[in-house]
Amino acid sequence: MNLMGTKIIVALVGVGMLCAAASVRAHHAFAAEFDAQKPIKLEGTVTKVEWINPHAWIHIDVKRPDGTVEQWMIEGGTPNTLFRRGVTKTSLPIGTVIVVDGYKAKDGTLKGNGRDLTFKDGRKLFIGSTGTGAPNDPADTPR
Amino acid sequence: MKGTLATGLLLIALAAAAVPAAGQKWTAPQTPWGHPDLQGLWTNATVTPFERPAELADKPVLTEQEAAEFEKRFAQARDADRRVGAGTDADVALAYNQFWYDRGTKVVGSRRTSLVMDPPDGKVPALTAEGQKLADARAAARRQSPADGPEDRPLAERCILWPTAGPPMIPVGYNNNYQIFQTPDHVAILIEMIHDVRIIPLGAQPHASPGIRQWLGDSRGRWEGNTLVVTTTNFTNKTNFRGSDANLRLTERFTRVSADTLNYEFTVDNPTAFTRPWTAAVPMTRTEGPLFEYACHEGNYGMTNLLKGARAAEQVTEGR
Repeated sequence: MNLMGTKIIVALVGVGMLCAAASVRAHHAFAAEFDAQKPIKLEGTVTKVEWINPHAWIHIDVKRPDGTVEQWMIEGGTPNTLFRRGVTKTSLPIGTVIVVDGYKAKDGTLKGNGRDLTFKDGRKLFIGSTGTGAPNDPADTPR
Repeated sequence: MKGTLATGLLLIALAAAAVPAAGQKWTAPQTPWGHPDLQGLWTNATVTPFERPAELADKPVLTEQEAAEFEKRFAQARDADRRVGAGTDADVALAYNQFWYDRGTKVVGSRRTSLVMDPPDGKVPALTAEGQKLADARAAARRQSPADGPEDRPLAERCILWPTAGPPMIPVGYNNNYQIFQTPDHVAILIEMIHDVRIIPLGAQPHASPGIRQWLGDSRGRWEGNTLVVTTTNFTNKTNFRGSDANLRLTERFTRVSADTLNYEFTVDNPTAFTRPWTAAVPMTRTEGPLFEYACHEGNYGMTNLLKGARAAEQVTEGR
């Protein structure tokens, strides 16, 4: 690569940094709703998914070490993007165990943002498969 | 999913083939009543930045190789699966996994390094002294009462208006989809983001009286050859497009240049806010349906949560 080409690629790296620094426009200011000082890591069983706008909410039951169960609500993005990729309202079945790595709501209630949503084995929800990413999705069955 | 991928590849192929070969003339389709036919579903998703990044100040247009590199780097930089430092507001602000986003993956067909095309430096012009005063007042109001009530919060959080949904319409993280409908005397644009339908009367009737102010302004359309020209005035002082004010006069131009490409340009003429008029080009590409409803108020728990969060923070402060 010639010198000019090198310069441009270096500039593009800079652009990448710039993009990373720019805040991502979600529907609302997430840092106003969730507390960076209160990280959460939860393993829970899906009890309900609200496929609503402007944000989907995944409800999970989280069993605490003392045996009690807490009911958490986890905020996601717009369902529209997932619908466009073929995800349906049955793609995250009730009873699925998921892991939530995120931040707790500033109002102190049992809500969080799902900064990183995975299955127990570490696979991300809704991706990593030819289908929806949900367990036992028919699209994943070898043909 | 395979079908979607195949369709996506087909669309890319069609987009690549959108410019007719030399000597061939593409004929714009017409409606049964003889107007250029812009109807259908369109998307303006792109990774091209709105303003030209400082690093590319001398590079208005990328080569093909540079464009490919830019797309790759952009995807890496904007990958929301990447954590940017546990326990930081920046990590919280990335919000959620990448699968919730739909930003597009390609630069615009011209490979320009900004959507802003005039001024030639690809930057939104400076605000006037009056425009800066308004921007300062808006910022001061946000600092003084950031979340006393819903009225303090941005219009997008209140599900009233999204600053990219238009007019004018520019790409953002998701819901970059539009559907155009035409009749002999109206054009309607259904915008996936938020919920709006812009209903644009065609013809020479005057704008609403200056006393009538609307979130989306008051639009009038006319045909200039194959181009739909829409002029919008009567914005409110709360409608803030990059520092604009109520005097904004926006001119949008829609020209279908191939079966799958709709050129969209807009000019911001707002002498009280900006030191000069400026223009951006945001090409749209035909996309597959359906366009989904984004009923923003359907479950806007976020507003309640962040107001309750502000009250909880006050209690902590008062308890000290």
